[in-house]
Amino acid sequence: MKLKTLILAGAMSVASGAAWAACSFENPVPLKSLSAGFEAWKAVTDAMAECGNFSASLDQEFREKQPEAFAANPALYQIGGVSNATLVPLLNAGTIRPLDDLVAKYGQDLLPNQLIKVDGQTMAIAMMVNAQHLMYRSDILADLGIAEPKTYADVLAAAEKIKEAGVVEYPLGGTFKTGWNLGQEFVNMYLGEGGEFFADGNMPAINNEKGVRALETLKAMTAYMDPEYLVSDSTYVQQQFQQGKIAMANLWASRAAAMNDEAESQVVGKVKMAAAPMGSAAPATTIWWDGMVLAKNMSDEEADAAFRVMMEGIDAEMVQANNDVAVWLNPAYTPGELAAGAAASAEAGAKPYPASGPMGIMHTALGNGLADYLTGAKDAQTTLADIEADYLTAAKEAGLVSN
Amino acid sequence: MSSRALRQPLGLRLTSNFFLAFWCLVAAFPIFWITVMSFKSPVDAFDGNALNVIFGPATLETGKGISILDILMGIAVLWVTARLATKTLPSMVRTYTKPGQAWFGWIIGGLALVLGFLLALFVVLPAVLNVLNPLFGPLGRDVMGLTTEHYKTVWIDRGFSNNFKNSLIVTAGVVTVSLTVGTLAGYGLARSGSTLAFWILIVALVFRALPHSVLVAGYLPVFINSAEWLRPILGENAPTLYGKPFAVIAVLVAINQPFTIWMLRSFFQNIPAELDEAARVDGCNHFQAFRRVIMPVMWPGVITTGLFSFLLAYNDFLVTSLLLDAQNQTMVPAIAGMFNRETTTTDQVVAVAAAVSITAPLFFLVMIFQRQIVSGLTAGAVKG
Amino acid sequence: MNFRTFAAFVGPSVFMMLLFIAFPLVSVFKQSFYVTQPIYETVEVETCTPGFLTQTCVTEEKSIPKLDEHGEIITQTQFVGLESYRNVLEPERAWRAISEGSWSVLSTINFWKALRFTLTFTLITLPLVIGFGLAIAIVINNAAQAIRGPVIFVSLLPFIITPVIGALSINWLFRGDGILTAMLEWWLNRDIALFAQAWTIELLMMLYRVWHVAPFAAIVFYAGLQTVNQDSLESAVIDGASRWQRLKYIVIPHLMPLIIFVSMIHLMDAYRVFEEIVGFSSQGYVISLQWLTYDFLVPDQAGNRSISRASASAMLTMVGIVILLIAPLRRTWRDHKGGH
Repeated sequence: MKLKTLILAGAMSVASGAAWAACSFENPVPLKSLSAGFEAWKAVTDAMAECGNFSASLDQEFREKQPEAFAANPALYQIGGVSNATLVPLLNAGTIRPLDDLVAKYGQDLLPNQLIKVDGQTMAIAMMVNAQHLMYRSDILADLGIAEPKTYADVLAAAEKIKEAGVVEYPLGGTFKTGWNLGQEFVNMYLGEGGEFFADGNMPAINNEKGVRALETLKAMTAYMDPEYLVSDSTYVQQQFQQGKIAMANLWASRAAAMNDEAESQVVGKVKMAAAPMGSAAPATTIWWDGMVLAKNMSDEEADAAFRVMMEGIDAEMVQANNDVAVWLNPAYTPGELAAGAAASAEAGAKPYPASGPMGIMHTALGNGLADYLTGAKDAQTTLADIEADYLTAAKEAGLVSN
Repeated sequence: MSSRALRQPLGLRLTSNFFLAFWCLVAAFPIFWITVMSFKSPVDAFDGNALNVIFGPATLETGKGISILDILMGIAVLWVTARLATKTLPSMVRTYTKPGQAWFGWIIGGLALVLGFLLALFVVLPAVLNVLNPLFGPLGRDVMGLTTEHYKTVWIDRGFSNNFKNSLIVTAGVVTVSLTVGTLAGYGLARSGSTLAFWILIVALVFRALPHSVLVAGYLPVFINSAEWLRPILGENAPTLYGKPFAVIAVLVAINQPFTIWMLRSFFQNIPAELDEAARVDGCNHFQAFRRVIMPVMWPGVITTGLFSFLLAYNDFLVTSLLLDAQNQTMVPAIAGMFNRETTTTDQVVAVAAAVSITAPLFFLVMIFQRQIVSGLTAGAVKG
Repeated sequence: MNFRTFAAFVGPSVFMMLLFIAFPLVSVFKQSFYVTQPIYETVEVETCTPGFLTQTCVTEEKSIPKLDEHGEIITQTQFVGLESYRNVLEPERAWRAISEGSWSVLSTINFWKALRFTLTFTLITLPLVIGFGLAIAIVINNAAQAIRGPVIFVSLLPFIITPVIGALSINWLFRGDGILTAMLEWWLNRDIALFAQAWTIELLMMLYRVWHVAPFAAIVFYAGLQTVNQDSLESAVIDGASRWQRLKYIVIPHLMPLIIFVSMIHLMDAYRVFEEIVGFSSQGYVISLQWLTYDFLVPDQAGNRSISRASASAMLTMVGIVILLIAPLRRTWRDHKGGH
């Protein structure tokens, strides 16, 4: 028995010698987490796994499972990965615990910026921020004598010049895939125009001049994009960039590193990051964050362990090892050129994504309804009116708007 | 048969064979193509030029390629495997097993064949060729870019073998339970002329037509909270059904029942009722008659139906993605997850390799069982 | 066979179907007449979220569901009758569109748009699947004995491939400058974007479905061809019947039960078309009935889902499938009565 333990321990230390040392304590409590599955989550959960007794579910259905799994008693997962939007249902259902005592106990390394506070209570710990901003081929724009576009008028003018010069297949790229992506593009534009989504009582308020302007800008852009824009998601646009097929796009900061990935990209060092173009009121983008929450339905002992494991997952070591994977919220993060776009957008006054229950419905209604305008099946007014009607039906069913 | 009278004119034969060749091309091309892609570096895999994808210049540049000799040897291994699967394996099974236990022989034989193939292609062949390639001069020089690194990433780094194991558990469970339950029901329905039997069949048919997403979404809250509502019945040990393979097996069996009982019923209808009636005259009850008389002759139909159950369980996405957590995840949701993540192009090629990996077992299955499928269908499993 | 023996044989199967299909179905039926919603109250909340360097704190009015003393959301369930059905069907808008004779307006209303595509998809692919299946079966049967095995094997590939992966691989082949699009462009010498308009996507989806299902039809028909009565074929030859006549008067009637079987399976499967919509991300152009149900059902990022509308749309889908199945079902009834 003893020999076996020895051999096992030996094998472990050989296999993961470095990793074992990475966690400052050995976690005794079995813990599980449920989160989305993108690259940053993989890095974080791998770092958490080093503490032992931890298993991560990087699940694309996490949105559907999280509220149910956290409501169960005891909760099926102790740690949840959320973004500003997916935090809403957990917050509403009251299935996550306030973290203030744990922050006081173990959170010395956290920045005040990382504490997500709702009515003064810390409900989540943010680990990264993300935003869409302008990426452009500095070589092409320099060749054609175009200055860095600052507004959407600039972007469209630049696109026209690039099109005339015929140096790339499509001047613009865009994450216009019907559904969440397209909805997000409208949210960006509409906020850039200074619009408000809701009036009193959660009534929709997008059918106005600002909404129409936002739509018109989106449509003007499509003229310079790959005609298959309604199926283009971020990965596809990123690929088009890498293959040198597009010259400009409003793309997520978390995608920036891929442009300089030697193994995939043919445009290494040629893509420059800039602030999101301005609408008439603000930068046409929204700031998102991703972070972690702890379930309410578990023992304090588990919560204690879960919080410590969580801290290990977002510590300086992990950030240094994965510096370019995301825009991390951590003193150890060195914002390189790749983060410049996100930083510049924030400086210019980009707003956080206005996450809320009604906004979830609105985002879905937008994502499903906008395609009709872009394909020319409806005019702008009708499109916005139909989206509002769609929103109202769903909001009434959800009880957010009284009949 | 008077073959001369039925002989076809040359033109017709040519057209027929041409159509067949065209169909085979169409049928095989997408699968062939993703297989080719999975062996290339990301730049090559998504290249717009077909020749670049096939010859993989960028992959070759990184020093990963194969020579003409490698290609020839690889084809030889493939050919031998196909030959073994279609010719040698059936005859060996026939010689070495008793009639009732043929399925056991099939499983052992099939596994041995797959293992042997993998061993030959990925272990023996590279070793042998490492020695041979330098000896053959130009024939041994790399001409085509090819890399197996994506497969390494999938199976070793991403822990795909765990998903594979889970898929096997779920699939094996579904096939076994579904056939056991379905065979009994199919027999009962075939031998009963009652109106009730008819209505069961009709309702089953309507069930089969239901959109699954509706049913499945209803399971989730019930499964997650099962520990709470099962507690009064099962006490403290009440399980949480969510994430448990057996719960998913039960759901998939239920979803699969309508098709299974329909197929087996029409198969049993083609077995003359006089057979079991004769047995019952000799003093057997229905179950004994079923065991002694029907069971020995039902295997062709059961194997065919089993293959359909296998496909359903193995390919299922909706149920498995929603009701299993990461530790028990099967292959299909795992792959879909790989695609839906914020992926890099490399990730996508890795996912393509995973997609090919998941198709490979199906490949072997059909190779081994295609004769049984046809004979099972011929024997009446699909009389409608 | 008396009732007890029958029940013993059929029992387990019926039990499983009742538990996992019929029971959820009844609850879906019930939900389509009720709406369950949390009770919201409006409160002022201060939320602080990370900016780039410092936090942004905003105080706004938010709708927060009320919680009871156990910390659970208080919900109320109310009977709404056919309200959810009306919300799905949008009869007023549809009627206005019809009375104006405006097809394009009707086809922007989700349910009708989905119904239009689902029916087109089902009814166009049906004859194609049967036709291709039959053709493939006949040419395989016509081929030399030695190559039949491999040919059947290759033919079955599209059928066995995992649907999600099949749709994705078609995606890679055709999307953007995918290899087949590139070939088409080279052949026709013009720029082609297959995912840029509705009809090409629809066409691709149908082709994919036919590619996927025709092998199943083919293998079933091929099995049927093995049992064609050779004597009647020969006597037909002696009577001077042409090939076409032999096919029409002997082979096809022999295969008729199989053709109906395949049609029935295909009607059911095509009517709930869903994987294609997701695989081809076609929802910007065309949607199907099951996709519509799914879209109502999937929670948005803030966790809202339209259970009642999803239930209503599911029930409507079911009504449609029952109507489509009436004809083949009547035949089954006759067989059943005649067979015993």
